[in-house]
Amino acid sequence: MSVNGVSHEKQEPVLRVARVRKNYGSFTALDGVSLDVESGEVVAVIGPSGSGKSTLVRCIDQLVGIDGGAIYLDGELLGYERRRGTLRPMKNARIAAQRRRMGMVFQNFNLFPHLTVRENITEVLRRSHGVSKPDADRRALEVLDRVGIGEKADHYPRRLSGGQQQRVAIARAVAPSPRIMLFDEPTSSLDPALVSEVLTVMQDLAEAGHTMVVVTHEIRFAHDVADRCVFMRQGRIVEEGPAKRMLTGPATDELRDFLSHVGSL
Amino acid sequence: MTLTAPSIDAAEDVAQAKPRIRVWRWVTGTVFTLFAIQFAHFLVTNERFEWPVVWEYLFDKSIMEGIRTTLTLWLVVIVLGTVAGVCVALAKLSSYAPSRWLATAYVSVFVAIPPLVQLIFWFNLAYLQPEISIRIPFGPVFHSWPTNVVISTWTAAVLALAIVESAYMSEIIRGGILGVDAGQTEASKAVGFGSGVTFFKIIVPQALRIILPAWGTRLVTVLKATSLVSIVALTDLLRSVQEIYNVTYQTIPLLLVACFWYLVMVTVLTTVRNQLERRFSRGHDVGGPARTGRVRTARRQANRVAVDG
Repeated sequence: MSVNGVSHEKQEPVLRVARVRKNYGSFTALDGVSLDVESGEVVAVIGPSGSGKSTLVRCIDQLVGIDGGAIYLDGELLGYERRRGTLRPMKNARIAAQRRRMGMVFQNFNLFPHLTVRENITEVLRRSHGVSKPDADRRALEVLDRVGIGEKADHYPRRLSGGQQQRVAIARAVAPSPRIMLFDEPTSSLDPALVSEVLTVMQDLAEAGHTMVVVTHEIRFAHDVADRCVFMRQGRIVEEGPAKRMLTGPATDELRDFLSHVGSL
Repeated sequence: MTLTAPSIDAAEDVAQAKPRIRVWRWVTGTVFTLFAIQFAHFLVTNERFEWPVVWEYLFDKSIMEGIRTTLTLWLVVIVLGTVAGVCVALAKLSSYAPSRWLATAYVSVFVAIPPLVQLIFWFNLAYLQPEISIRIPFGPVFHSWPTNVVISTWTAAVLALAIVESAYMSEIIRGGILGVDAGQTEASKAVGFGSGVTFFKIIVPQALRIILPAWGTRLVTVLKATSLVSIVALTDLLRSVQEIYNVTYQTIPLLLVACFWYLVMVTVLTTVRNQLERRFSRGHDVGGPARTGRVRTARRQANRVAVDG
């Protein structure tokens, strides 16, 4: 799995992040990050806080603009288009259309509190994907059952525990069958006791063959579920490779140091 | 775990304690009662109140006309003020800098100048610009009207009050929109909603709960502010009693008539406002969306303590 690889037998990667740079004022959040994600692959992104891993997924989902480099989804440039040889930002409607092909799960769930659990999903399917009401209802119940929240479909999100809310958020992201799922520290704001129910759902998605990029602090999850692991530090990818090998036998001092701080497997 | 309960003196079981004796409450209560009786005596025995005159004019036809004018003016000002307030709020939140500057200037000017001054100013607009026309700036004129025809007493009153109102409303609305958690906008974008759906289906429903209490207060404030229009000879409730006492010199009893009706209208409005607020906060925890983060954190900490303990 080479990063810049142009191997002929392999198909186009679902996601290609190429030399992406992002600055916040004088702070460099991403300093030339490149990453390919193949179809069906689960990539765990780990690293200390402030390493740029959250910024990376937020850039991929076009929630923050990038200052350099390019991001491609199925070979299509995200956020920009060339018109008469000049590269310009796309209109918001076209960016929205590109986002519909990605599913995003936030650290703080960000469910819509004025909509029921079911409506959180059906509204997305109907307004963003043109699904009819009966089909949207059916699909919503199907994904809610899959994450084990089926019986809470008509509750408001506030009435649910953090773990349940995050499972609904995952259901909302996966309902339109996106090309890729992005997770931004999905368990970081949960009670320790509620983490595993969310990780179980994510593992289920991974085993079902979804393409996933997971920013996480859960080293055990990265080891057990991810195909590949990316270790970031100070806006750069310091080490990447097969998750199991990398997390049991880190090649760089930086990763070894990081793993010793977050606790062993 | 079971512990053997320690024994206590039955006389010291707080379950049988009597309420505390509060001497000062009795003293102040007596004083207040005396004052109240004194005041009631003043109201009833002072003949200058002329209660029969109050009663005579309370449901007078011209007074009813005045109330109708006041309420119509109130409604028009609230509707125009709210619509314009939304526009100004959006302009102030825009990413386009000139629209922000314009909105900021608009709000600072119209909040700073007293409504009464603005009212007289609009009323005298004809002096400044005798004709109002539709034209391309410095270009051809399509049509024009004399200002005195367009800006009648009624339009001057509506214009002045609605502009002031839109300036206040825009700040309330802007605060409400900013009060919605930024994560909501992000999530809305992330699920592929366009800016229209994000605003009307995600932001507005959540902002309404924050906006409503302050908006309800404005309803009452505007109702009272309509009495200013009596200065430009628009026959609202206040003006209608003035027109009577200017002839009969029964100033106090007729002002009491106006007071009575203002009190009735404000009481009804306040009740409606409280009902609205209750309806909109149904099914929600204490505090608006802006505070849910803290509520959630607090709850999480409580959970953690419970788990740890």
